[in-house]
Amino acid sequence: MSADRILGIETSCDETAAAVVSRGTDVMSSVVSSQIELHARYGGVVPEVASRAHVELLMPVVAQAVVEAGVEDREIEAVAATYGPGLVGALLVGVSAAKAMSMVWDVPFVAVNHLEAHLYASFLEEPDLEMPLVILLVSGGHTSLIVMEDHLRYRVLGSTVDDAAGEAFDKVARHLGLGYPGGPVIDALSVDGDPNAIHFPRAMAKDGWDFSFSGVKTSVVNHVRKNPDTAIPDLAASFQEAVVDVLIDKARRAAREVGAKGLCLGGGVAANSRLREKLLDVCVEDGFRAFLPSRAMCTDNAAMVAAAAWWRLEADGPSPLNIGADPSLRLPVH
Amino acid sequence: MLILGIESATSQVGCAIGGHEGVLASAHSARPRRHAESLAPQIEFIAEQAGIKLSEVGVVAVDVGPGLYTGLRVGITTGMALAHTLRIPMIGVSSLDLLAFPMAHTERTIVAAIDARRGEVFHASYRAVPGGVQRMTEPGVSAPADLRADIIADHDEVLLVGDGALRYHQEFENVTGVEVADAAVAFPSAASLVMLAHAKALREEFVRPDQIEPMYMRRPDAVAKWESA
Ligand SMILES: [Zn+2]
Repeated sequence: MSADRILGIETSCDETAAAVVSRGTDVMSSVVSSQIELHARYGGVVPEVASRAHVELLMPVVAQAVVEAGVEDREIEAVAATYGPGLVGALLVGVSAAKAMSMVWDVPFVAVNHLEAHLYASFLEEPDLEMPLVILLVSGGHTSLIVMEDHLRYRVLGSTVDDAAGEAFDKVARHLGLGYPGGPVIDALSVDGDPNAIHFPRAMAKDGWDFSFSGVKTSVVNHVRKNPDTAIPDLAASFQEAVVDVLIDKARRAAREVGAKGLCLGGGVAANSRLREKLLDVCVEDGFRAFLPSRAMCTDNAAMVAAAAWWRLEADGPSPLNIGADPSLRLPVH
Repeated sequence: MLILGIESATSQVGCAIGGHEGVLASAHSARPRRHAESLAPQIEFIAEQAGIKLSEVGVVAVDVGPGLYTGLRVGITTGMALAHTLRIPMIGVSSLDLLAFPMAHTERTIVAAIDARRGEVFHASYRAVPGGVQRMTEPGVSAPADLRADIIADHDEVLLVGDGALRYHQEFENVTGVEVADAAVAFPSAASLVMLAHAKALREEFVRPDQIEPMYMRRPDAVAKWESA
């Protein structure tokens, strides 16, 4: 089954988003209403606060996406929403609205896996990416190393065994009193710091494909306790270097091992300038194609949901209306 | 005018379609915590049973709570998205009003009490008036023992109704003058919602979809903690 214009909805965490995408590649509109300011004072996303905000924000965001796309309601041929992984109360808002709209318009409803959506974000800006691709998906909620062999066919090589990469940034920033979210602050401070000032451990760097970031966070805390006078930019840069090193090393090894055509970044942490710089270096050295999506496509958005829905609808047809939210949904692996 | 009513404020979920000729079709699921899974298929089912298309619906009525947050959000979001997409108005009705409404035959004071979890109930008092019930107190949230103390202090003959009343029936049973309504009427019904919304529709008490607000009655824990710090 195929539908050209798909309305996508994303409410899995703290962004309320809607977008209209044609044929999985042409973004006609993409509206994101971020709740970062709502959660900042708590130092992290509060699920109940997020769910309440989604209820308030979703329909205005959807209306804006439809208007900006310049389409009539009847020109929308399917409605898609993220149904997992994520915060259950937040996911249910998007899923419920998408089902309701699909019933009124009598078009297919498509339940989308948020991780699959992140993978399809790359194809929105680069529709002809050659596979196999190694994708490093890093954000506050996920850290995964994925091989995409073909459309809708993946292998997850490794994931974090404790904190997600973005979570480690947030926790270190909170400990150093730098505010929330931690990623952008640490990135900015690191520009003036020496990444080799302190050597923080590169956990599990050589063994397997999984990641662990709670150790490096603890090392930062311990270092500050023993050396309270360390310059913050040096701390930030050294911590960032340790995280980026591990991510890049594993992604590079994976790309070599599977004979990848390219290396690709996704997720909020993909906006980190040091990570982008190092990924480019590695790709130049090893001859892989590097693909670094724009910041807007790395962070949670609904265009990627509509894009993934286009592929899923073609392959599997519509989703049943009795689907709920699955907060711990995994990538479908073959 | 056809009204689609959505009721999901408690552990149960249901919907109904009707108008001046009464309820044409309804669906109800008592299986707990299946709001998101059940509601959309139920709406499709009742539209088919009533022999109507969703485009013929003129108003979407929703139970705005108080009740279980997740259920409320599923029902309210579904209702808002339906009304927004159909470009029709909405009517919001409180879950407590819905519980009291079918009790209009009693001469007792009606106290609707919904299980609020965390050892508390959402509650409000009503009395029967010609054509329905009238709310006498603002909806509140209290420990059952506090509600019991209020009831005793008021010396009224009370009919206590709702899943909160059932859950804490031992707290109330031995209070003189108190009767606890049975399980058959303990949950707000979508059929009552449609009838109550119909009365409101005649008085043109419509709101736009973006004016519907869930009655949470409590701030999120993190907010309460932060504000009291
Ligand atoms: Zn994400």
